[in-house]
Amino acid sequence: MATPKDAGTRGPDTVPAPDMAAQRKANYARLFRKFVWLTILCSLAPLLLVGWGINLHYTRFARERMLNFFETQVDYHRKIIEMFLNEHSSKLQLIAQTHTRDEIIEPGALQTAFEIFNKDLWTLTDLGVIGEHGYHLAYAGPYDLWSRNYSKEFWFAQVMQKGLYISDMFMGFRKEPHFIIAVTQSNGDQKWILRATINTEAFRSLVENVRIGKTGQAYLLNAEGVFQTSPRLSGAIMEKSTYPIGSYHEGIQIRSLEGLKDADGKERPLQIACQAWLKNPRWLLVVKQDYSEAFGDVNYANTWTLIFLHVSALSILIVSVLITRHMITIVKRRDAEADRLNDQLMQAGKLASIGELSAGVAHEINNPLAIILTERQLLLDAANHFPMSGPEFKEQFDDSLSQVDIQIQRCKRITQNLLRFSRRTESLIETVDLNAFMREVVDLMDREARSSGIKFFTELDPALPPLLSDPSQLQQVFLNLITNAIDAHAGKPYGSVRLITRADSQRQLAEVHVADTGSGISPAHLSRIFDPFFTTKAVGKGTGLGLSIVYSIVKRLGGTISVQSEPGTGTEFTIVLPYTPPKELRESLAEGHHAKM
Amino acid sequence: MPGSRVLLVDDETVFTKNMSKLLTYRGYKVIAVNSGDAAIRELEQADFDVIVLDLKMPGMDGITTLKEIMKLGLFTETLILTGHGSIDTALEAMKLGAYDYLTKPCEIDELVAKIEAAWEKKEGKE
Repeated sequence: MATPKDAGTRGPDTVPAPDMAAQRKANYARLFRKFVWLTILCSLAPLLLVGWGINLHYTRFARERMLNFFETQVDYHRKIIEMFLNEHSSKLQLIAQTHTRDEIIEPGALQTAFEIFNKDLWTLTDLGVIGEHGYHLAYAGPYDLWSRNYSKEFWFAQVMQKGLYISDMFMGFRKEPHFIIAVTQSNGDQKWILRATINTEAFRSLVENVRIGKTGQAYLLNAEGVFQTSPRLSGAIMEKSTYPIGSYHEGIQIRSLEGLKDADGKERPLQIACQAWLKNPRWLLVVKQDYSEAFGDVNYANTWTLIFLHVSALSILIVSVLITRHMITIVKRRDAEADRLNDQLMQAGKLASIGELSAGVAHEINNPLAIILTERQLLLDAANHFPMSGPEFKEQFDDSLSQVDIQIQRCKRITQNLLRFSRRTESLIETVDLNAFMREVVDLMDREARSSGIKFFTELDPALPPLLSDPSQLQQVFLNLITNAIDAHAGKPYGSVRLITRADSQRQLAEVHVADTGSGISPAHLSRIFDPFFTTKAVGKGTGLGLSIVYSIVKRLGGTISVQSEPGTGTEFTIVLPYTPPKELRESLAEGHHAKM
Repeated sequence: MPGSRVLLVDDETVFTKNMSKLLTYRGYKVIAVNSGDAAIRELEQADFDVIVLDLKMPGMDGITTLKEIMKLGLFTETLILTGHGSIDTALEAMKLGAYDYLTKPCEIDELVAKIEAAWEKKEGKE
């Protein structure tokens, strides 16, 4: 007899317990973090380290090249300037040393020298011979300076003292910026000065024509920081510069200037400056440029390299996170699958162990039952052979033996159920027309269903081919399910049981649905309905083995069973059976059949 | 056939006593023993037509007893009677040479029918 269940349910699949689920969730999170960190460690970190390293190296290399360029510019122009000044100083000294005062002041002599000086390049503005008293003895040039006395001028004493003097830029009598190179020469007691005024334009072009980008400029400063040439961008010749000249030093010096203000008070951005002192005169050659422009290309390359590097790193990170998430999803799916298999295994194990127990119990009950049966038979035999004491006794005797027989048969059914559950019954694989089979089962149960106000409805798929299965066990399965379905309507005046078959020829599977309109199964009983001895019926109404037997038979026949239920609405069991039973079942049955032959 | 000699082997003494009576009422000559060893001894001393053998017994179990019986090379047919209801064990017994099996509890008429069938087979062999 099938075990009625009063409530709806789902299949034997279970979900992990809440604490286990939380622990598993934490494990997934830990696994996720590990994968991501591993990716970062193995790919991102080397990429960033190498990228940053190469970038740093390239930046340093490019900056060194730029600074070398600055140094080269300063060195080159310093040499040109010094060469210019030395050349003019030497020429003046040559003239002074190869002429006496009288010779040089002879009419035309100085003019000749002046023209020779300017033969190739117009580098001298004028040339004059000045006596000890400070007046011109001879003059070649565009100005009228004969009446000028230079003895009080700052340069006069310097040249008289040093023999060679190169002045800073000054305005002088001509009221325009210029500078002079002067040498002294003595002829006996006569000391005279040969003074040349350098063509300012020609000299300034040596420095001012230096062009470095938009913000680059070159200029000369004297020891007091006064412009000796005009800076290209701000300030003017002979104005005081804001450049911090510092003290004299040998060689070339690179400086970073921040917060430097122009002559008009406007603050300049960070600048890179390269400077070198001239030995004579003590002028400072400065070449400078805005830092942003000087290292613009480097910074540009640097920026784009870093952008590319970080975009690549970010891409790797995103891809690794996505891949890791995908992997975790796969792991989760596999874990869920493993859980499902474990649940099935546990269910099978539980059924197997309870099956063993049931078999033992059945045996222990069967023996006393067999004795009771023999005792009953002995009493019946005795009654047939020996006279009864009276009709009332005979009536009671017959009633009692009849009741003994009824109860023995009841116990026998229980033990048979136990034995069937423990798979101890005989199986036989035959061709089964499932649709015809379902009709037979409906016919078998129809009377009982009608008495409970239940109607059967069938939707049988005509395309369903005959199966190879065990008809007696299938009968047990569907009788149990239909009995449960009928019992689930207890308390309802009427209801229905719907039996549906479907063919899945692609997967070679047959589907059978047994759906009722009964009371359904409460969620609390969901995961237990396939457990042996679980029942919600009153004591003596069922052993709680019905659905366990169904479950074990379906599994044994290679099928699956699942259930959906809604309390108050009904329950639907779905059984999926293969067209052919599992190989191991066929083999075991073939062996048994052979033995019996 | 009434008059056939039946050896009843079961560790349940009440069962063997009752079954002996029932079979005796039905004309069989029944010897009942309660162990496999006793069964072998009886078989060595007397001839039987049918043996009704329980599978699950303490000491020498039914399968071992059956193997010993087969070693004796008798014409006797053996019926397996078991409360265990194990098809596997019963099939194993049949592989070893048992004629058929019944599960406890069984009606006396069912047992008698099997004994008759076994007797007929045994007579056929002889």
